[in-house]
Amino acid sequence: MSTTTASSTQQIPRSPTTGELVTTTARRNRLGIWLCIVSDATGTVALLISYVYLWSLNVNSAWAPPKDSFAPDLPFWLIVAGIVLAAATMWWGVRGMAKGHRGQLILASALSSIIVLVTFVGQIVQLSTFPFAITEGAYASATFWLAMATAIHLSVVLFLTLAIFNRTRAGLFTQSNHSHVRLVAMWMTWVCVSALLGAVVTTTMKVSPNTNSPTFGTFSQSSNK
Amino acid sequence: MSTDVILTSDIHEQMAVHQPKQRGKAGGFLRRTNVLTGSALGIVLSAVTYAIGSKMVPWGTQNADYSQVGLNALVGATYVAWVIGFMIGIGAFAGPVRWMLGHDITHDDSEYMAGKGQGKWKYWKYTTDHKVVGLQYLVMALTLLGFGGFFAMLIRTELGVTWAEVFDPNFYNSLIGTHGIVMIIAMIIVVAGPLGNFIMPLMIGARDMAFPRLNALSFWLLFAAVPPLLSNLLLGGIRDGWTVYQPLGAQAPVGMIGYQICIITFAFSTGIAGVNLITTIVTMRARGMTWNRVPIFVIGILAAAIMGLVWFPMYQYSQVLAFSDKVVGSSFFIPQEGGSVWLYENLFWLLGHPEVYVIVVPATAALLELMVVFLRKPLFSYKVAVAGFAGIVGLSSVVWVHHMYMTGWAPSAGYPFMLSTELISIPFGFLVLVMLGTLWRGKVWTRLPMMTVYAVLWCKIIGGITGVYLSDVPVDQYMHGSMFVVAHFHFMLMGAGLFGAMGAIAYWFPKMTGKMLHHRLGMVGFWVSFFAFQVTFGSMFVAGLQGQPRRVLQFDNAFEISNWISTIGAYLIGVGMLIFLYAIITSWRSGTIAPANPWGAKTLEWQTQTPVPLENFPVLPVVTSDPYGYGVPDPYDSIELKLTDENLKVGA
Repeated sequence: MSTTTASSTQQIPRSPTTGELVTTTARRNRLGIWLCIVSDATGTVALLISYVYLWSLNVNSAWAPPKDSFAPDLPFWLIVAGIVLAAATMWWGVRGMAKGHRGQLILASALSSIIVLVTFVGQIVQLSTFPFAITEGAYASATFWLAMATAIHLSVVLFLTLAIFNRTRAGLFTQSNHSHVRLVAMWMTWVCVSALLGAVVTTTMKVSPNTNSPTFGTFSQSSNK
Repeated sequence: MSTDVILTSDIHEQMAVHQPKQRGKAGGFLRRTNVLTGSALGIVLSAVTYAIGSKMVPWGTQNADYSQVGLNALVGATYVAWVIGFMIGIGAFAGPVRWMLGHDITHDDSEYMAGKGQGKWKYWKYTTDHKVVGLQYLVMALTLLGFGGFFAMLIRTELGVTWAEVFDPNFYNSLIGTHGIVMIIAMIIVVAGPLGNFIMPLMIGARDMAFPRLNALSFWLLFAAVPPLLSNLLLGGIRDGWTVYQPLGAQAPVGMIGYQICIITFAFSTGIAGVNLITTIVTMRARGMTWNRVPIFVIGILAAAIMGLVWFPMYQYSQVLAFSDKVVGSSFFIPQEGGSVWLYENLFWLLGHPEVYVIVVPATAALLELMVVFLRKPLFSYKVAVAGFAGIVGLSSVVWVHHMYMTGWAPSAGYPFMLSTELISIPFGFLVLVMLGTLWRGKVWTRLPMMTVYAVLWCKIIGGITGVYLSDVPVDQYMHGSMFVVAHFHFMLMGAGLFGAMGAIAYWFPKMTGKMLHHRLGMVGFWVSFFAFQVTFGSMFVAGLQGQPRRVLQFDNAFEISNWISTIGAYLIGVGMLIFLYAIITSWRSGTIAPANPWGAKTLEWQTQTPVPLENFPVLPVVTSDPYGYGVPDPYDSIELKLTDENLKVGA
C-alpha cells in the first residue's frame, strides 16, 4: 500500500521512486521473488519429469548413450557444492549486513561471485566434456538440458552477485535497507535446490529399469536402432 | 478517509526522500529508445546472425527424422537474435544494468518512464504506467484478433468452396495452425492484458502495478514474440494445428521454429505478468479492502494469473525441448532415439487445458462484475463465486489427460480423468448459478455490456454441456478429432471468452479511453456476431455429429450443406466484428466525452476522474464496504440524516 502514518515511520528510509517505506516495497519484492521461484520451479519440474519419464520408458531401448557411456557423478556434485557454498556465503553476508557490517557483505558478495564464476566455468567444462553428444539418445538429451538449466541459473546468479558486490561497495545497502541482498540469497537458495534435484536424478537414475522397452514410432518399423 | 494519510505524490515535496544522483536528463538511456530503435536493432542483429551463421552452418546435416538440423539452427539463431535485439533496442535491459552498476533511478526518472510529458509517443516506448500498458495490450489483442479472424475467413472460404481447392493443402494446414495459436494468444491477453493492467490497479485503489518495469517488459516481450509467429507462413508454415504434436513438429518446415520462439517468449511474458498481477492484488489493495471486499473481477484475474504462472512453464518447456530436438538434434520426442511423443503431449496439455480457464475465467469475472451494475442489485452469493474460481484453479491441474484418451497413453488413466473433468463442471456451475441468481428478478438496464451476459450464459451452457459429452471416454472415442470438438471449444473460447471480452471492453471503454462507446453501432456489431456465431458453430456441431473430421481439406459431399452454412455464418461474424471494431475506433477518436462514472458503479475505478491521472487517485481511497451494495440502503445515509436531525435540534 502506498499510504502510511507520519508519526511511526520517520526512521525507516523511503523508496526514491514511489516514496513508500522500504519495508513496504521489501514485502512486495519478497512475494515477487517467491512467485518467480514457483514459476521457475515448474520449469525445472518439467525437465525432471522429462528425464524420469524417458528413463522409465526406455523407448526403443534407446535411452542409454552409445556404449553406456553415462556421465561421471562427481562433476554434478561438485557443481552442487559450489552453488551451496556460494549461497551460504551470501546468507552470511546478509546476516552481517543485518547487524550493520557492510564490510562483511562486501566480502561475502565478492567471494560468492568468485565461487559462482568458478562453478559456472565448471558447468561449461562439464557440458563440453560429456562422454556423449546431445544427439546420442534420450539420456544424453535430458542430461544436457538439466546441466544447461544449471548453467543458465548460474549465469543469472553471477549477474546478481556481481550487482550486490558493486552496490554494496557503492554504499547503497544499509542495515535498514538491504532487502535486495536477501532476495538474491533467496534466489540462490532456490538455485541450490534446483541443481541438487538435477544431480540426484542424473546420478541415481542411469540405467533404465525397463528392459522390455516399447517399440514404436520408428519410420523403418524396426525395433531398435 | 483518515487524517494521517500521506499521499505518495506529496511525499517528495513534503518529506526529504533521499534521491540517488540524477545522471543526465530524466529517463537516461530510455529517452533514446522506442519501438523503432527496437525493431531496427532486432532486424540488424538477426540479419548479422543469419549472415554469419550461414557461413558456419553445416548444411545438409540431418536429424534422426531427416529434418534439416543445419538450416533449423540458422533460422532458430536468427529468431533468437531478433528477440534479443528488439528487447535491447526498446530499452528492456536498461533497468537491470543500471541497478547492477548502482545507478538507481530517481523519482524524476520513474515519472519519465511512466510517460509523464511525452504525449502519445509514450505508447511507442518502454513506458511503465499501467494505464499505458493496458492500452498497449488492448491494441495488441485487437490486432491479433484481426489476424486470427482473417485466417478464419480464409479457412472457411476453403471449406465453403466445396467445388474447388482454393489453397494448397499445406498452406491450408498452416492457416489452421496459425489461426489457432494466434487466437489462443489473443484470447489469453484480451481481458487479463488490457483490463488486468489498466482497470485492476484502479479497482483495488493502487497507484500502479507492483513492478511497473516488469509490466512494460511483459508487454514488449509479447510484441517481440508476434513477428516470429506470423512469419511462419512464409517459411513453410505450421501444418500440425496449434498443438504441433510431435514428431510432426520435428519434421515440419522451418516455420515451426517461429512458433516455438513465439511460445517460449510469450511464456516469459505471461510468467512476468502473472508475478506482477498476483503481487499487486495481494500487497497493494487499498486500506479497508479486506479479501471479502475485493471486487469479483480482481478475484478472477488472480485466479487466471495463478494458473498461468504455475502451468505456463510446462508449455514453455515443451517448446524449449521441441526447439532443441529441431535445432540441435536432441531426442526428447523422437522415438528412434529414445524420445516419446507422449512426453510432449503431457507437457503440452498440462498448460493446454488450464489455458482454457485462463481465457474464460477473467471474461466470466468481468461479466459478474458488470452485471450487478446493470441490474442494480448485489452479486448473488459472492462467496460461491469465489469458491467457483478456487475450484477451477484447483481442478484445472488434474484434467489434462482428457485430451489424450485416444493417444494410447495410460488407458487406465482415462476414467479417473473423466471423473476429474466432469467434476470441474461443478465450480463452473457455481459461476453460472451466481449469474442466474444475480439476474433473478433484476431490473435490467439494457446496455451493450449487459447484453453480452446473456450471450455468454447461452454459449457457456452449450459449450459446457458438449464439454461434458467429450469428457466421457466412450463418447470421445467417437467424437475425437471431429468438427464437433471444434464447435465445442469455439463455444467456450469464442462464445464465452470473446463475447465476454466484448462486454468487458464495452463496460470499461469509457474509463480507458475517456470516450463513450457508440451504443447502437456496438450493439449491431455484437448481435450480428452473436447470431452469426450460432449459425456457424451450430452447423459445425451437425457436421461433427455426421462424422466430418477436423483439419481436413477435402471431405465427403454429405457435409457440403453444413459447411456452406458455416461459411456464410463465418462471413457474417466477420461483418459483425468489423462493425464492432469500427464502433471502437470511431468512438475512441471522436466519441462522446465520458463522465467519470457513466454507469453509476460503486467500484473504485469509477470513483477517480476520467482521464485517469498519472497516479490514479488524488487521495488514496479507504474502503468501508463491499462494492456491491446496490439496492441496499447506504448506512452513512442514516448517519448523515441523524446528524442533520441532531444539528437541526441543536440549531433549534
